[in-house]
Amino acid sequence: MNGLRTSALALGLAAGFASLGTDAAAQDCTTKIGAVLPTSVDWGKPIAATAQYVVDIANETGGVAGCQIEMVLRDTQVDPKVGVDAAKALVDLDGVKLLLGAVSSGVSMPILTSVTVPAGVMQMSCCSSSTAFTKLAEEGKTNGLFYRTFATSGVQAAVGAMVAQEQGYKSVAVFYKNDDWGQDIGGLVAEDLEALGIEVTASIAINDAQASYRAEVTEALKGNPEAIYMALYPKEGTQVVREWISLGGSQNMIAANALKSDEFRDNVGMQFLGNFIGTDTASPRTESADAFVEAYTARFDGPPNGPGLANSYDATMIALLAMHAAGEGATGADIAAKVGMITDPDGTLVTADAEGFARAKEVLDEGGTVSYQGATGNVQFDKNGDVSAPAVTWVFSESGIEEQKYISLNEVNDFMSSLN
Amino acid sequence: MIGIISYLVFFATVASILSIAVLGLNLQWGNTGLFNGGVVAFFGAGAYGTLILGGTPQAGQLGGFELPYLIALFGGMVIAGIVAWVVGLLTLRLRHDYLAIATFGVAVAFENVMRNSDWLGGAQGIRGFERPLREALGNGFSYNLAFFVFVLVLLIATYVFLERLIQSPFGRLLRAIREDETAAQSLGKSPSRIRLTSFVAGSVIMGLAGGLYATFYAFISPQDVLPILTFQIWAMLIVGGAGNNKGAVMGTFLIWAAWTASGWALSRFAPLEVQLYTGSIQFVLIGFVIVGMLLWRPQGLFPERLVVSQSAKTK
Repeated sequence: MNGLRTSALALGLAAGFASLGTDAAAQDCTTKIGAVLPTSVDWGKPIAATAQYVVDIANETGGVAGCQIEMVLRDTQVDPKVGVDAAKALVDLDGVKLLLGAVSSGVSMPILTSVTVPAGVMQMSCCSSSTAFTKLAEEGKTNGLFYRTFATSGVQAAVGAMVAQEQGYKSVAVFYKNDDWGQDIGGLVAEDLEALGIEVTASIAINDAQASYRAEVTEALKGNPEAIYMALYPKEGTQVVREWISLGGSQNMIAANALKSDEFRDNVGMQFLGNFIGTDTASPRTESADAFVEAYTARFDGPPNGPGLANSYDATMIALLAMHAAGEGATGADIAAKVGMITDPDGTLVTADAEGFARAKEVLDEGGTVSYQGATGNVQFDKNGDVSAPAVTWVFSESGIEEQKYISLNEVNDFMSSLN
Repeated sequence: MIGIISYLVFFATVASILSIAVLGLNLQWGNTGLFNGGVVAFFGAGAYGTLILGGTPQAGQLGGFELPYLIALFGGMVIAGIVAWVVGLLTLRLRHDYLAIATFGVAVAFENVMRNSDWLGGAQGIRGFERPLREALGNGFSYNLAFFVFVLVLLIATYVFLERLIQSPFGRLLRAIREDETAAQSLGKSPSRIRLTSFVAGSVIMGLAGGLYATFYAFISPQDVLPILTFQIWAMLIVGGAGNNKGAVMGTFLIWAAWTASGWALSRFAPLEVQLYTGSIQFVLIGFVIVGMLLWRPQGLFPERLVVSQSAKTK
């Protein structure tokens, strides 16, 4: 029975960790919240650390609704089965009413459909970008329990269409990378262009690592478009642009942020990029965003450079404040219903730090609403729980990449609502 | 208390679904000696097939036929069977590791086709499946309990079917082919046909597991059919004991319990600083169990019971 001895040893090891456990709770009561994040992936750890940082800030200011917060963190291993099981365990065994996560849309989605919505638990994702969540919300299947602080690909697509309109292009061909990001943004930009009355002559998928894209480029040339839109990565983008220009295509180009690279400029050649305009989502130009960068740098000995950190920070902050507003013993639906009180544009402005957190609690206790000025700006959710983001356009120059124009959150929001 | 029961039901449902897939692999590997390295392709074919047949219509996607649940589930099994038949015709002349590599390639190709085909959900996957009987049972615990009973019935049915199959003359033929194909051929049997039959039957069972999995989550995406699932299902069979159906089921429950319980124990008991590394620690612990198993008990917890044929026993 050596096998059993092995398992016994493994259990013993796990039990060993138990004796190392420390009780952080100093206050009378503790409220548990759950987090399901891919901590076994290198870029997932800082996202979880950021969420824990916010929980620490909340506890320093005296907790939430009079109780200390304990964040129970579970790893998803980027495996939907493992993530769903972890979420279910948090909801059933730990009784959490608020779940942060997950990162991958392919993990967040089954958690939403099979755990949080049936159990009535609020789910706040920092980083899932798929448009499928928007569609699910529009069908009314999320019960208003799902929020995310990561802007969908819709922002960049809309700004791309905005550029085409400003340049006065009448017809555009779209090239997109053949993955979830590219499929998403390629489809959205085509819709937006058509909404603006610009003809989309072709939408062409570009598969990675092909030796030549002559067939795809020829296909696009048939429609004789005035400009092209590219949601491509530098390697394929370089190839496509080279063949496009050598076959006599137009030099009017618009591209998503993935082509923002010196490598692309050098390999294509500056002489062909005179009419090239890129788009990107931007960090907001607000004091609150700078304050977050400073606080983060002080805490973690380095700036927040990984993906999703500012989003994770805001997700946790907003969720915890909503939990405070909902009061002790609130259900998931109660908490979700209070999110609007935290992100009310007419509310009292509060900053995204311990001081702001404490101030927000005071205002909420008095029955007021707050406008949370977060690491990603003054976050506002639409009716589907989605957020928008400010954007920039940029161009290539001899010396590198230069920002052309900053489009504030309000301008982006106004433009996007004018499209619908 | 109700929380614990609710979680256990949930856990047992997932473990039972995985058990069905492991039983399918046990027919292929444990009894026939077919090294299927592409379990996820057939699991996925069943999952996608079921959701396409039984789901609600989505813009720009194939499917949404809204067939009754049992018919959709059966359709998913048929689709898995068809995929297995085509793959089997092409690859079953390969032996051992060559077969493993070829089927692994099929599984990777399957995932990529799903990821790239917008009309099959693309990278975003297929959603919009309405759970059957949801109005009657509600969304909560009673629904999960009913679904668990349904899965359990299917698991028992699969188990009994396979137990009877391997005790039948056909089962002996499978083992004969596994042990010595040439000898079986010399007795007038057709190994290639039997191998194909076993491969398709095992894959249909995996397809059933896939269909149950997708309908339980009401969602399937390419992320569900990554090679890690093939690895997990193999680990379950190896630990439980290849060639023994009871071992296959026990191995599944054990490995899935270790996989989930280690995550739970670490999140609960590990100190705060270690919390961020629980994922990595968990991988080490699980790897430790599997390696230990292979070192000290390679035949698995429940080794195959070698049966001497009945005529020899009576002497």
